[in-house]
Amino acid sequence: MPLEALNDFVVKFANVNGSGSASANSMFAKAILRMGVPVAARNIFPSNIQGLPTWFEVRVTEAGHLGRRGGVDLMVAMNPQTWDRDVAEIEPGGYLFYDSTKPLPASKFRDDITVVGVPLTAMCNAAYQLPRERQLFKNIIYVGALAALLDIEIGVIEQLLAEQFAGKDRLIAANVAALHMGRDYVAEHLSPLRLKVRRADKVGDRIFVEGNAAAALGAVYGGATVCAWYPITPSTSLAEAFTGYCEDLRIDPETGKARYAIVQAEDEIASIGVVVGAGWNGARAFTATSGPGVSLMTEFIGLSYFAEIPAVIFDVQRGGPSTGMPTRTQQADLLAAAYAGHGDTKHPLLLPADPGECFEMGAQAFDLADRLQTTVFVMLDLDIGMNEWLTKPFEWDDDRKLDRGKVLGYDELEAGVEFGRYLEVDGDGIPYRTYPGAHPTKGGYFTRGTSRNPYARYSEEGAVYVGNMERLLRKFDTARRLVPSPVLRSATRSTREGVIYFGSSTPAVHEALGSLEHAGLHLDALRVRGFPFADEIFEFIAAHDRVFVIEQNRDAQLRTLLINEGEIDPSRLTAVLHYDGTPITARFITETVTRLMSERTPMPEAAE
Amino acid sequence: MTYITKPQLHHPQLKPNALGYTRRDYEGAVSTLCAGCGHDSISSAIIQACYELDLPPHRVAKLSGIGCSSKTPDYFLGNSHGFNTVHGRMPSVLTGANLANRDLIYLGVSGDGDSASIGLGQFAHSIRRGVNMLYIVENNGVYGLTKGQFSATSDKGSKSKKGVVNHDAGIDLVSLALQMGATFVARSFSGDKNQLVPLIKAALSHKGAAFIDCISPCVQFNNHAGSTKSYDYVREHNEAVNRMDLVPARSAITIDYAPGETVPVAQHDGSVLHLHKLAEHYDPSDRVGALAYLQARQALGEIVTGLLFLDPGARDLHENLGTVDVPLNTLSERELGPGAAALAKINASLR
Amino acid sequence: MVNWKSNVFPGILGRTCDRPCEPACRRGRVEDEPVAICRLKRVAADNKEDITGRLPAPVAVSNGKRVALIGAGPASLTVARDLAPLGYELTLFDGEAKAGGMIRSQIPRFRLPEEVIDEEVGYVTGLGMDMRLGERVDSLKALLAEGYDAVFVGSGAPRGRDLDLPGRQEAAANIHIGIDWLSNVSFGHVDKIGRRVIVLGGGNTAMDCCRTSRRLGGQDVKVIVRSGFEEMKASPWEKEDALHEDIPILNYLVPKAFTHESGRLTGVLFEKVRPEFDAKGRRSLVPSGEPDEHYECDDVLVAVGQENAFPWIERDIGLAFDDWGMPKVDPLTFQSTLAKVFFGGDAAFGPKNIIWAVAHGHDAAISIDKFCKAEDLAIRPPPGTSMTSQKMGIHEWSYDNDPANDARYRVPLLDKGEALKDVRLEVELGFDRATAYRETQRCLNCDVQTVFAESACIECDACVDICPTDCITFTENGDEADLRGRLKAPALNQDQALYVSGDLPTGRVMVKDEDVCLHCGLCAERCPTGAWDMQKFLLEMTHAGGSCR
Repeated sequence: MPLEALNDFVVKFANVNGSGSASANSMFAKAILRMGVPVAARNIFPSNIQGLPTWFEVRVTEAGHLGRRGGVDLMVAMNPQTWDRDVAEIEPGGYLFYDSTKPLPASKFRDDITVVGVPLTAMCNAAYQLPRERQLFKNIIYVGALAALLDIEIGVIEQLLAEQFAGKDRLIAANVAALHMGRDYVAEHLSPLRLKVRRADKVGDRIFVEGNAAAALGAVYGGATVCAWYPITPSTSLAEAFTGYCEDLRIDPETGKARYAIVQAEDEIASIGVVVGAGWNGARAFTATSGPGVSLMTEFIGLSYFAEIPAVIFDVQRGGPSTGMPTRTQQADLLAAAYAGHGDTKHPLLLPADPGECFEMGAQAFDLADRLQTTVFVMLDLDIGMNEWLTKPFEWDDDRKLDRGKVLGYDELEAGVEFGRYLEVDGDGIPYRTYPGAHPTKGGYFTRGTSRNPYARYSEEGAVYVGNMERLLRKFDTARRLVPSPVLRSATRSTREGVIYFGSSTPAVHEALGSLEHAGLHLDALRVRGFPFADEIFEFIAAHDRVFVIEQNRDAQLRTLLINEGEIDPSRLTAVLHYDGTPITARFITETVTRLMSERTPMPEAAE
Repeated sequence: MTYITKPQLHHPQLKPNALGYTRRDYEGAVSTLCAGCGHDSISSAIIQACYELDLPPHRVAKLSGIGCSSKTPDYFLGNSHGFNTVHGRMPSVLTGANLANRDLIYLGVSGDGDSASIGLGQFAHSIRRGVNMLYIVENNGVYGLTKGQFSATSDKGSKSKKGVVNHDAGIDLVSLALQMGATFVARSFSGDKNQLVPLIKAALSHKGAAFIDCISPCVQFNNHAGSTKSYDYVREHNEAVNRMDLVPARSAITIDYAPGETVPVAQHDGSVLHLHKLAEHYDPSDRVGALAYLQARQALGEIVTGLLFLDPGARDLHENLGTVDVPLNTLSERELGPGAAALAKINASLR
Repeated sequence: MVNWKSNVFPGILGRTCDRPCEPACRRGRVEDEPVAICRLKRVAADNKEDITGRLPAPVAVSNGKRVALIGAGPASLTVARDLAPLGYELTLFDGEAKAGGMIRSQIPRFRLPEEVIDEEVGYVTGLGMDMRLGERVDSLKALLAEGYDAVFVGSGAPRGRDLDLPGRQEAAANIHIGIDWLSNVSFGHVDKIGRRVIVLGGGNTAMDCCRTSRRLGGQDVKVIVRSGFEEMKASPWEKEDALHEDIPILNYLVPKAFTHESGRLTGVLFEKVRPEFDAKGRRSLVPSGEPDEHYECDDVLVAVGQENAFPWIERDIGLAFDDWGMPKVDPLTFQSTLAKVFFGGDAAFGPKNIIWAVAHGHDAAISIDKFCKAEDLAIRPPPGTSMTSQKMGIHEWSYDNDPANDARYRVPLLDKGEALKDVRLEVELGFDRATAYRETQRCLNCDVQTVFAESACIECDACVDICPTDCITFTENGDEADLRGRLKAPALNQDQALYVSGDLPTGRVMVKDEDVCLHCGLCAERCPTGAWDMQKFLLEMTHAGGSCR
């Protein structure tokens, strides 16, 4: 029985990297969005430029479930190399769309699915002479064909093409022609599928954007002026987006000069070195990197912690350890970031759940770094960073002031304010600092990674060292009140079980919570958004008999952090872990939690 | 090493400079290096140079890595901000500091371990980017703080204090700096302040990446027979290609050398370098020639010192990046934040 | 004991000395003010434990030589201090009932308590001598006839100069000679003075007079001086003390007449003058042409100088006098033209001060000792010297090498209201121990020398770089005038010799300008080869006996 669905199905494109499919696939997703139907789109790509398999998965979800669902309803199988597993992945009753130019034996198909063949190559070869044209237009042709098969309004795609190639009318015409070629083929030879897209009004004013771009834009609004980076997937597009936004938004209108400085450094160590140097000198500075970069930066992060220098690191996490799965997603840098550095160190982490929060926290991180005079991490991952997510529009209050933290300037120094670079003054563990060059005779000090007294003079005296380390702890406690607070999502009825989750798992968790509730399993849910952990998090754990901690790594790093920082009994926290490199799915969460809950004494609700 | 504080009492004839500061006002804490360390002489030369240039001490930012040499910024310009960073990474921190505030004068102090071994990459890259700075390597050919291991600048065939012969080729930082595009390159000797002080002054006045390789004997571990970085060896093999004086922009020019031997070179800041030739045919504006000359003389066992290369019209990193004239760390919210209206447009483009 | 041996009166001098040593103090070359040497001597004297056990006991066996000492002031007492332990039989004559001379008679008690005088004079007289107090020598001839082997005249300059101006005789009852009046106060013969007092003169006696007046009922006390404030002979600190006690000092006023009414002093009339300098910079005071000024007063104290007086020395005994009535005395040996008669203190060359009297006494004692042994007086034994390295460790010295940056500390004073109530209440409280210690830390250790060994020098410049006062230069050699100009800081004090090494390997020499060296030893600490050393120089001044032989 072929699957039937309206505005609720999953399409997966199996392509070859470098074939130009990405922009066509993205247009497919965006066209559905323009019809008012939410989509969740994800790239699944290799560490490769040309030739290896790449996938693009589009979940059409009028209900607004932006996580991965799991399973595929329609496979657009354009890559012979992955044919077998692509076909195998299709849900029973699902559909297979393929290039029927080359005849395939029956053994290559399945009986329980509907196969839709379009001779894309043959059509291209007939229409185009240049190999590159044949390649690129093939993608547009299948978009046209899919539009016809799924009832996507062709005019919406035409509009998108017009926007994409604005000013290049010849290209628009050529693309529209290819689009029509696909649509017309379906109209003549095939009938529409039972998977349908129908115009709705469920997108609202939401925007469709990558987390990396959003974080970069946050850095622009957060006043970052210095960016130093070293290319590493999946963070590269963050630095590149920052460059692009700065070129648009940060040029002095009178002189045409740049109000920013971006250095592509020789490595991650130099990147963070530049950031620390700029932060020391009073500029807001950041780097974007991933796990391997954080490993390299660790010595500098320790310096930033101990010498108390503001820095912001966007860690777009990927699959580790070592080079690991460089193009796959994980949330596996949590421990490495939280405790980066030798000796006793810990650092504030911000944990955005979608590009909207990437923007907000991307800006907020700079205020926190200046306020706390330390490295602040913004922990993205590949899933948020490199995929376009449907997210609430960016907002900015024009009255918002940048918090430059505790800085003594010329006037204060001249007025004789006592200055000790590492002197506790306000009881919050945060000392005052001065920028180099502030005053001819006052406020100068020597910054070092060695132990020193409150007046920044070298000291290896035990009591002096301990006093300083204790102050740093007080400062970290101050950070607890400054990082974003957790978000509670209570179950519809009272329960003694809960889930804790964060970051890119969020939409999948939310969807799963709905399913679980539907199945009578009620869970309170708390989304962690910052480290050090707010008191509410530990109160939440205390208020529940069992808490599932859902995260995308093998070692339950968030759970470990919670146990460690909150001195929690490990038996109270049950790990729900997904770490195969693909984004966590609602199905996985639902199934795992259901199983775990059933292994225990059944809850009364579950027994009903 | 000395533990008493250097008395503030000073010579009654000590003259203030144009800013009213005496040379003593440019001093820092008392050195904790070994007695007789060449590095202390370099600190003293820096003090003298800054004093003579009438630099406001607080407008100089001192940065260093780790090692004996990197401890020295504590020992001069006590009112300046200093930053003792991590091993081999001073160049990146200096680059970042420079990007944040282009108005300060950046003085990077490093050693041969810091710059030729662990930090060779950062050394090279900061120079090829044209960071406006003076980068001094206090080069003693040895790891002092860990007690006498060879460093990467130890010459092949030189002997350690324990009698071990170095079999690895030495890295010549001057040649490397030339290759990396440094626009001011000099070599000097801690034991020759008459040469060193004018070089530091000129380098501090230079806009762009200025590099001075300053041979600085380690009295404890590298001042024995068989060392090529000892006081005696350097004095015997020192071949200065020129002597120079720096005439600040506002002074009348009074230096008078025989014509033909002296070349005046205008610096970016309006000061004039008067180069007094010692080696015939040596042309410090010829990068390729300088490299060849260095190699040839080095093969003869000579240590070429003096101003080796100068491009007075160099561009620096800020020019290459096209940054605004004011320090980035002074930009206001209004100048940094594009505002809600711009954001609304961006939102619209993302639907 | 070092203090006692050399200064003889540390507690007295530590309160009253004119401090000729302080202008020589090298701290004054690098800063405004020298170390408070004088007041530190007082601290040492005041804080000592009982020293009687350390003093030489009276010598039991005489050496057979008899010496007469005329006047029991500081000069004679110094001679006695030096000679008594050598076995001389000493006879000490003084007209007053107690020994001490001008120390006791002229210095007000609020500056110098009597106990201090009694103690320190007592240490000398306790060495064993025949004390003939209350016995004024009227005839040297007669004394010589008593067969003394030598006579030392230390009778001081006991006569205060008078001012013979109109009205002097008429108002005599209220016009007093300063030193006589001070003496009368010291001995309790005078205990009050008029409400308005004018002190004439600008020396230390004038300062003592005015301050004493303030304590004896003088409310409106003025010092009126011919010269300008700066040229006044009084020590700067004594002027300061007077001003502190609300005593105005009026300058450029020359007294013309004492005014009086019915035999009673009414005031003093002054002519106003101004200084004029001739081509050579010599100053003279010329009338300013302004009207004379009259200052009213009840009493006048005349403190315009002191004179010697030797009415008791017969002019026919072979002792020659010069045109000014002063004995002809050899400035080296203090011997008069009469071989066995020696002079010292103010009696020798006119009024000076206590510390000079002590110095004279030491030298005269050497002469007397040599004379009695029939040795050549002109051959003066050199002082003993020694040099000792002070190095203890890498940066440790057996002397305090870290001079404090502090400015000179002020000696605390008694509350003014309190002090002015009692002429016998000591006004200076002296340093407490902690302050005294801090003041001593200002010392630049003149006794410690920088000693350079060129053979060890590797010319690393470490000493040049560290020297806080730019004393050291390595340069090409040259003649002195040339070298002085080429040093790191020019050597301007021509009185201070340069220290120049032999040739070094680079052909240069090390030149050190000692002038402002702090002796902090940093050059030696920073020297990697020990080419510099800090050595303590000890100077043992020659005293009679001992090293004389």
